[in-house]
Amino acid sequence: MRLERSLEIFVPASVVAGVFLLAAELSSLAQLVRASSFMALSGGSLILVGAAAGILNYAIIRRQSRELALQANKSLTTGKSTYLAAPENSLGPLVLALNDGFTAAEQTVASALTQVKELQIQLKVATGQRRQAQAIIYSINDAVMVTDSFDEMLLANDAAARALGFDLHAIDRKPLDEVVHGTAIVQMIRDVRASKNASEKRVVEHRMRRDGKDSIFKLTLSCITEANGEPAGVVSVFHDMTRENEISRMKNEFVSSVSHELRTPLASIRAYIEMLIDGEAQDEKTRNEFYDIIQNEANRLGRLIDNILNISRIESGLVEIKKQPLSLMVIIKEAIDVIIPQAKSKNIRIEEQLEPAFYQVTGDRDMLYQSVMNLLSNAVKYTRENGTVTVRTTVDEENQQVSVRVIDTGVGIPAKDIPFVFDKFYRVEANKNVAKGTGLGLSLVKNMIETVHKGRMFVESEVGRGSCFGFTLQLTP
Amino acid sequence: MDRKKILVADDESHILNVVSLKLRNAGFDVITARDGAEALKLAGEQTPDLIITDYHMPNLSGLELAQRLRASGQNIPTLMLSARGYHLTEDELKASGIDQMIAKPFSPRQLLSAVSEMLGVAA
Repeated sequence: MRLERSLEIFVPASVVAGVFLLAAELSSLAQLVRASSFMALSGGSLILVGAAAGILNYAIIRRQSRELALQANKSLTTGKSTYLAAPENSLGPLVLALNDGFTAAEQTVASALTQVKELQIQLKVATGQRRQAQAIIYSINDAVMVTDSFDEMLLANDAAARALGFDLHAIDRKPLDEVVHGTAIVQMIRDVRASKNASEKRVVEHRMRRDGKDSIFKLTLSCITEANGEPAGVVSVFHDMTRENEISRMKNEFVSSVSHELRTPLASIRAYIEMLIDGEAQDEKTRNEFYDIIQNEANRLGRLIDNILNISRIESGLVEIKKQPLSLMVIIKEAIDVIIPQAKSKNIRIEEQLEPAFYQVTGDRDMLYQSVMNLLSNAVKYTRENGTVTVRTTVDEENQQVSVRVIDTGVGIPAKDIPFVFDKFYRVEANKNVAKGTGLGLSLVKNMIETVHKGRMFVESEVGRGSCFGFTLQLTP
Repeated sequence: MDRKKILVADDESHILNVVSLKLRNAGFDVITARDGAEALKLAGEQTPDLIITDYHMPNLSGLELAQRLRASGQNIPTLMLSARGYHLTEDELKASGIDQMIAKPFSPRQLLSAVSEMLGVAA
């Protein structure tokens, strides 16, 4: 008797139950029953067969559904599409429907995964860009702050934290007025943001007290807007102008100073020439005196101009340095010869205590001459009448060094000024009336000795007793 | 006619030399001082007809010198030489005893001219 078309099992009427490997439809159970009821007449064994067939059917379906479930699960989790084999029984349409469902689900998942990947890429790019922006901002010396449209802190750099006194790590999304305590600044940022104008930029000078010092900042505020014109935030840049203003002021002072310095010898020259012209020098001796004075003043003027030019050129790196072995002692003697007239006019004695000339240093002749000259000139300038200026050299054989000392019995330098004497334009307040100067001489010497010749400058001084300025250089091996 | 006596006070040798020579050649007697204190002393001792003084000097400034002389009743015409930018008004100067001021750098001719005028003599 044939039960289904898929499989045929021959059931001997005498066997109660065998193992049915049948894909049976549940409806066939009814058929079975019908069939079996037809066969009931044939014997009770057929009813049993029918029942057994039903139970087996159920078991088969149960097993199949389990298998399908496993397969489906595998497909879904591995993402590999597996087309489930649709059995020919009642599970068939279900499986077909499931297959369609799976296919749709797979497509959705695939598309979702693609979107996720895209978003990840975008996020990476955005993060990368943000990092780059941060790196740029952090590396800027000026204080930079970015606030959003709610006046909350978005970004700030180290310089801003230092300038405005907040903790860089504690500001994210904090309200501006909690982080920055200067109401003027907060108000300005608010105003710029409220202006909603992308091209709104304000540049203001802003004074702040920081570390007990007054600083002047140039504050530039720019409003950033989004594509739709709404304000996205404000970028504030604080540029510390204090130093610039200071340098500017020093330059102006310098120019004034220099002009005055140059006029003084010039005035002398003119006065003496006028005297000569008017015949005021009525004898040879007086005339010669005048000639000498005019010449000395002209030389002084020349030296001054050289000094000024030198400083500018050395600072801008334009000077050609020619180093060669030479004797410091010879240079010193030359410088002394030049300073003698000036010393004599104040009745100042120049004393030489020089080591033998064979000790040599490797250096630029002009620079070393200039250095010695400046120290000598200072010594004479700041020593009153009847004083003494001593030039001493000492050789340290062990360390292969030579030291030059210019010692005067002059006015001396107050202790508080000593750390600054080598600064450009620095003039000792207490001695401003003793002699005129540009404040450049020592700075030039320090530059030449330490930077160019790798030597060392030193100074000792006592007010009322005098000063000792000197430098040490390596001997030529 | 007596030669007029002029006291010149300045701490710069060049100025002292130039001014003295110019004035002596012009027929004046010249006495010199290197600082305000010395000038005050000489003014008292020698009663000059005119004082020429620098402003910046050790011990006593030119201004203080003039003030002291006025205070002590010595009304000597005083001319002050000044370095850059001196900020008293003419009235304030006159009140301090400075009759005229010449800015440095000055020419010797200019000085002689001023002196002659102040003393009422031909230059």
